[in-house]
Amino acid sequence: FKDDLSTSPQLFAPMSPYDVDLPLQPTEDVLFGSQFNQPKELPTDFSVDLSFLPDITPDNKEQNLSEDGHEAQKELDGSVSRNDDGGIFMDESSSSNPDATQPSPEGSGACLPLTPMTPMTPVTPASERSGIVPQLQNIVSTVNLACKLDLKNIALHARNAEYNPKRFAAVIMRIREPRTTALIFSSGKMVCTGAKSEEQSRLAARKYARVVQKLGFPAKFLDFKIQNMVGSCDVRFPIRLEGLVLTHQQFSSYEPELFPGLIYRMVKPRIVLLIFVSGKVVLTGAKERSEIYEAFENIYPILKGFKKAT
Amino acid sequence: EVAYSQSTGQKEQLSRCLQRGIRRVQDLCKVLQLPTVFEETAVSYFQRALQHPSFHLVSLEKKELLGGCCIFVTCRQHNWPLTMGTICSLLYAKQELFASVFLSLQKELGLSVPALSLADLVKTHLNSFRLFQRTADIPAPFVEDEAKMVTRTTQIVELASETWLVTGRHPVPIVTAAAFLSWQSLRPAARLACTLARFCKLAGVDLPPPAHLRLKELLEILLRMASQLAWLRVFNVDKKTVVKHIGDLLQHRIFLLKNAFHLEDGEEQGAAAPGEGSPVSPVAGGAAQEQGCPSEGKRQCDEDGPRPLLPPCLIHPRKRLRTAAPSASDSAITGDEPISDSEIEQYLRGPEEIQAFRKAKAWL
Repeated sequence: FKDDLSTSPQLFAPMSPYDVDLPLQPTEDVLFGSQFNQPKELPTDFSVDLSFLPDITPDNKEQNLSEDGHEAQKELDGSVSRNDDGGIFMDESSSSNPDATQPSPEGSGACLPLTPMTPMTPVTPASERSGIVPQLQNIVSTVNLACKLDLKNIALHARNAEYNPKRFAAVIMRIREPRTTALIFSSGKMVCTGAKSEEQSRLAARKYARVVQKLGFPAKFLDFKIQNMVGSCDVRFPIRLEGLVLTHQQFSSYEPELFPGLIYRMVKPRIVLLIFVSGKVVLTGAKERSEIYEAFENIYPILKGFKKAT
Repeated sequence: EVAYSQSTGQKEQLSRCLQRGIRRVQDLCKVLQLPTVFEETAVSYFQRALQHPSFHLVSLEKKELLGGCCIFVTCRQHNWPLTMGTICSLLYAKQELFASVFLSLQKELGLSVPALSLADLVKTHLNSFRLFQRTADIPAPFVEDEAKMVTRTTQIVELASETWLVTGRHPVPIVTAAAFLSWQSLRPAARLACTLARFCKLAGVDLPPPAHLRLKELLEILLRMASQLAWLRVFNVDKKTVVKHIGDLLQHRIFLLKNAFHLEDGEEQGAAAPGEGSPVSPVAGGAAQEQGCPSEGKRQCDEDGPRPLLPPCLIHPRKRLRTAAPSASDSAITGDEPISDSEIEQYLRGPEEIQAFRKAKAWL
């Protein structure tokens, strides 16, 4: 299903942990269906990584097919390690010299899954790095307490719980440290929002599980998973959104009648960025924080190059 | 036994829905007086969309909006400046619902929707203004020539766009404010006393709430430009009287913008104002580069010196609680820390509390 917590158009909601009116589907089965039906995730080393494939533009289409064609076959057959340079490819307009930004075919072909992931030489030279680190603002995680819960009972016995079955079919619970909010469903599934780091989210989720345990339920702590991470930062210069949407039409949606920011759907990594005229950028849809950092390093040269052109 | 969903009955029902939808699209196109080719395109988008799995089974309400969305997309692709507001009012639709259907349509069908052309919007929006012909309720001095108004309004909207007043904002209020200023400036003597609200009422158009703010911002820009026009320095130009000089300001706008504002990357103010001897002091420029004066609040520090050309949200930043960067202790959290019983127990109700709570609930 498409509209899950991480990427629905109502993605602004997870940013405020105290916003009770979260636009979630009332039946938690829809929420958890996709997560719990998937096979257990293997480490990223073993997934097929097609990041070496550049964007198909008329210019580099033929060029790359010939260069990487051979390696492409090898890599598609077996497992490859993640290519750190992949992020650069989504921007076909950034460099007039495509060769400068592509990794050597030998390099990508030789990567084997057994090799530990040491950071490869970054393609963006240090001098072009933004020097800005996006700050994590919100983490959404889920965990399975693996026991049926009596929500009315929980709402009666817990001080920090809210339960309004006519409005929403879950108990809304809050703790002070780490400052977070949890949605606890009668099936035993739980969503934890508002933490500023993965570790904090896990600690918070454990505390909620302990509260539920102390209330007399045999709660476990299974399949804890980070579902979405939201970060934000400031490039410190204004951005002509109407121009950006012209040059990056296939990734951008800018409708000032609907929303003041430009919605940029980055392909690699698969992150949604909200870019505002003030230069503030919100990044969301990440499952790991490296995706947020990578997405920002990809967008920064685009925004910077754009600024000089106006 | 065959399930209804697998019988031909369902297919027939769907095509009736499709037929009704197509007719609705065609009717809307006629109401909007769109060229025939638009109608054909919109209908084809509509058919494609209805067959798409994500729209196949949506509510009838959404299907009605879907038709409107297809027309909207078609118009935008032909640079026909139909706004979302207009199509929503024709469909009696909630804008949020329309927005979500529009975004889904754009995504699922992979449609590229070009940006709304402001220049075209000016023409169509002004077309609905009832100021171009003498009628009973419009005083003679208020009647204006449409072509002149379109030209001047377009120039003011372009000026707004160059000075960061357009990006991220609703387009219609900007056009309304620009139309008002352009109308006033074409015959200031008779029209300066007229307010924006009265102007809209006479013209027979809605006054969108942001228009007042856009008007204020436009006047601020014009005043700054006026300060760089030598022959205006003699007069004490304020936000009322500056309207009289809008014609001149627009004529020399490129030059005036360069002198009244300095660009982000610290461009030097080389050229002097016409007739003026001294160039603008770079020191004042440097100081103005900071975001406003904290001590003065919203007022500009230096009325005469150039201020940076920035979007209003950066010139007047709203005081925001900056969330502190994660402290050292926050970053040290591993997630596996032991959790004390006492910490958890603070969240549990004691027996007396539960009794009291139960009693209170019984009263409700």
